This record gives sequence, C-alpha cells and structure tokens, in this order.
Amino acid sequence: MPISAASEDQVAIIRNRIWYGLLFVLTVWLALVPVIGGNLPFYFYLMLWITMASAFNIISGFTGYMPFGYVAFYGIGAFTTAILTKKLGVSVYFSIPVAGLAGVILSLLFAKTLKLSGIYFAIVSLALSIILRLVITNMPEEITGGSFGISLGSRAEPVKSFYFMLVTLLAALSTAAWLARSRLGKALKAIRDDSEAAAVMGINVPRARLLAWMIAAFFPAICGGIEAWYTNIVDTETAFDILITAKTIIYSIAGGLGTVTGPIVGTVIMVVLDDLIWQQFPLLNLFLLGLVIVLLIQFMPRGIVGTMMRVWPVLRRYIL
Amino acid sequence: MYEFLILNALVNGIIIGVLYSLIGCSLNVLYGVLRVVNFAHGEFIIVGSFFGYVLFTTLGIHPLLSVPIAAIVFFVVGYGLYYVLLPRLAQADDPETSSFLMMYGVSLMLGAGMLMIFEADTRTLDFRFSPMSIHIGTLYISTARLVALGVNLVVVGLLTWFLYFTLYGKAFRAVIMNREAVQIIGINIHRISAAAFGLAAGLAGITGVMISLVFPAFSPFSGPDYTLIGFIVIVLGGLGHPIGAIVGGVIFGLTEQLSIVFLPQAMAPIVGFSILILVVFLHPRGLFGKKLLR
Repeated sequence: MPISAASEDQVAIIRNRIWYGLLFVLTVWLALVPVIGGNLPFYFYLMLWITMASAFNIISGFTGYMPFGYVAFYGIGAFTTAILTKKLGVSVYFSIPVAGLAGVILSLLFAKTLKLSGIYFAIVSLALSIILRLVITNMPEEITGGSFGISLGSRAEPVKSFYFMLVTLLAALSTAAWLARSRLGKALKAIRDDSEAAAVMGINVPRARLLAWMIAAFFPAICGGIEAWYTNIVDTETAFDILITAKTIIYSIAGGLGTVTGPIVGTVIMVVLDDLIWQQFPLLNLFLLGLVIVLLIQFMPRGIVGTMMRVWPVLRRYIL
Repeated sequence: MYEFLILNALVNGIIIGVLYSLIGCSLNVLYGVLRVVNFAHGEFIIVGSFFGYVLFTTLGIHPLLSVPIAAIVFFVVGYGLYYVLLPRLAQADDPETSSFLMMYGVSLMLGAGMLMIFEADTRTLDFRFSPMSIHIGTLYISTARLVALGVNLVVVGLLTWFLYFTLYGKAFRAVIMNREAVQIIGINIHRISAAAFGLAAGLAGITGVMISLVFPAFSPFSGPDYTLIGFIVIVLGGLGHPIGAIVGGVIFGLTEQLSIVFLPQAMAPIVGFSILILVVFLHPRGLFGKKLLR
C-alpha cells in the first residue's frame, strides 16, 4: 500500500489536528449535556468509563501489565473521599485530589508486584484488591462504616461532579496523549515488547514502569472519589466490585490497547451497547457482556481501533 | 476446648484440602497442556454441582452415580468446547492473556446462564447418607464428607496413574514440558489439547458433584470463589505441576480451616491470599514448578 508523500511535519500537523478536533468535539458535546438537559447519568458514567479505560491503557496497553485488581485504586479513592468529606468535614474539592494521592500511595505499596510476569501479576493483583476490600470491611465502623459503607449526607452535586468528571476526563486523555508521544511512552512500549532488550538499551526499566503504574493508579482513585460525590454512597461491595475491573479491561480491549483513541472508541461503543441491552434484555445483560468479550477476543483481539490500524496501516500515522 | 476445634479443623482441613487439590489438578492440566488460564473454572465446577443436583432431583440418581456420568458428559462437552474456543487464539499476539480474558467472558456467560435457568437461590443436594455422621474418638465427621474424601482420593489417584503410568499420560506430560517439540515428534497437538480440555472439564464436573456433598450450599454466584481457590492452589504447588497441586491443595485447605478457628470468619480468606502473595514473592516456583519472574 503506497504511503502518502506527506512529510513528517505535515503528518504531525494533521495528527494533532485530528486529536485536538476530537477533544474539542468531545468537550463541547459533554459540557452541553447538563445545559440542554441531556441524560446526565448516562454521560457521567460514560466519562467515568472512558477515564478508567484510558488510565488502564497506560499500564496495560503501553507497559504490558494486566492488573486484575485495578478496582483497588478506585475503591481506595472512593473511601478516602468519603472519609475525608464525611468524617473530617473536608471540602470535596480538596478530598478528591487527596483521594488521587491515596491511589498513588497504594500503587507504591503494591509496586513490588511489578516484578511479576503476566499471569502471576494479574492473580496477585486480584488477591491484593480482595484483601484490601476485606480489610476495609472489617475495620471499625467509626472509620469506614463496616459493611454499610459511608453516606456523604446531602452533599451530592450531580452537575458539579459532572463537570469535575469532565475535567478529569480531559486530564486523563491529555496524559495518555502526552505519554504516547513522550520518551517515557516510548520507553514503556519498549518494556512491553521486550523488557530485557529495553534494559540493554539503557532504559531504567523499574523506574519507567513504576511511573506508569503511579499514573495509572491516580485516575481511577479520582474517579472513585468523584463517583462518591455523585452518588452520595460509598460501600465496600460496590467500590471494590470486580466487575469494575472487568468492564475497564473489556472497554479498553474493545477499543484497542496501546492506542490513545482506542479506549475512547471502545468505551463509547460498549457503553451504548450495554445501555441498549440493559433496556431491552435486563436479564440477559451479563450473559451478552460475556458473549461480547468472547467474540471480541476471538475475532478482534486488537480491538476496533487496533484492527483498523492493522487493515489500513497508514492510519497509524494519523490517529494517536 | 481449643484442642477439639483444632482437631476438627485438621480433619476437615484434609477433607477440604483434597477437594481443593482436585480443583487445582484440573486447573493445572489446563494450564500445563494448553497454557490457558481458565478463569471460568469455578463456573465449570458449579455447572457440575447443578448437573448432579438436577440428576438427583429430577431422576433420583444417587450422587455417587452422577460422578461417572458427569465425568463422561463433561469430557465430551469439553472436547468440543476446545475446538470452538481455542484454536483461533493460538494466532493472537499474547495467547495467555487473551485466553485469560476470553475465559472470563465464558465465566460471565456460564454464570449468567445458570442464573437464568436456576434463579439466584442457593441450592443444596438433599441426599442423606446413613449414618449421617461417623463418630471417631471425640469427633463427629459427616459421612458425606468422608465419602467425598474417598472419591476425591480415588480420582486423584487415577489421575496420577494416568499421567505417570500410561502412554497417553506421558504424551500429556510431554506437552506440558514443551509444546513445540511435541508437534515436531508428530503428536496431533489439537487432539491432545482437546483431550486435555475434556479431561479438565470432566474433573471439574466430578469436583462439582463432590462440592455439593462437602459444602452445605452452592449458587450460580459461587463460581469465582472456587476459581480463586484453584489459582491459589496451583501457584502454591507450582504452575503446571500436577502433583504440586495436590500438595498445595492440602496445605491450603488445612490453613484455611485452621485460620477459621483463630480468626473471625470474614478475615479467614485474607490468610489464604497472603500465603499466595508470600509464595509468589519468596518462592515463585511454588513447591514444584518453574521460575516465573519478569
């Protein structure tokens, strides 16, 4: 297939235009939702899942790890926000960023697991998230609300949390886009493909993947906090639900791991599909989700964007 | 007072441990031969439990009789399921992760399917052995559990005999050692993989029936618990090593039952997971396996 004769600069310009254009459309569309009375919950959760998928993509698509306990960061973020806001009376605008920090701290605690290979890493990650859930459930009720969870009182602000989520989404997408073009991003992809060769090339493998791990832990924690703000309730069953990890993984794979637009495309399509299925066949929902996963892995293991890039390689230059 | 509880825990630990070993063995066959991490294994097992349950409630078949029936039916289904699910995955970029995720999808389908057919209630296999329990010394041990122990030991023994004393078993072990080399020798890798899948499915079916005897109840949601237990057992014993799973299972069973004596019920799983993490970091091979660090 003949590659167009455009120079590198022209390609870069077009690529940036496409990316920023996409961001612009996304931002305007989402910002208008509360104003024109659109379906707030639908778009809120859409933004949440896109953020989760994008952040997950950083550690899985770019770096090659698949943390099956990813929900641990989400849960710790939710609980940190709830505890700070409800028990200590701190403003939400402060407790949510602190929640993000809590996610990063948790990632540092779990950093040792990055030494493990594929399946071991996934299973240990899952085990750690379950341990975290059990520990929090069993902590004294005054601190974490036991199995009833914590209610944030009447501080729920659907519209404010919506815009907070939008800002977070843009931050996450921008981070992913920056990562795709930066030295760190290239280092991560090298580590993903062959970590020994990467080390031979002079890349500080432990440091690079630790950075990716921390970045990938920050955003779900914030998401957990914002969702707590939105729904008012935080409890261990929903905050540490393994389905959150599962959906995150599926949405990012559906789009295409390792690309920046992949998680966006994948999430949008899957969330719309999920919503349609839920409306029509509430009971079949989980079954069809499983079926979609199986079909996806069988026929489009690289996701939608990934498969498109395989069929038309020229797209690689233009789509981030 | 504690001695009684500990003695009880030891006995039950062995019984449950051997059951866990069986889970681990079937999961290990899958991983060793196929390099497939079966996230749906717990669901396979629960389907086995429901299978035995349905046979018992609609046809009045004795649970022990449903063991060989389950074994055969599940073997055939597993054999076919291999060809549906797995050959295409071999061409993927990362077959292990892809299979991991695909089996997760399968687990969702199976769980949801069981939910739709059987509803969310927990079920019990209402079969009573007579006598209900056997009195040894100061202990009362449920007969059902002793029967399950016996059956499990027989199955584990048969599996070991098959793997180490028959030609087909030797082929299985060869595939576990080196998949590519086996194809060079001329063994049809698809047929042996399908047989391995069938074997693992058959074992899962047997395990499912045994679970309905050992544990008081099961429901469509019980699957993931057993999947996780299976993983812990095979990591403890060493990925891909059939005998390792047996040892790992007993150790885990004993630890679990003993920790229930000393810790609140809700905290007991933490002990198991902590063991998993400790083993992975301190001795990644597990007891019998090969090194698996990045």
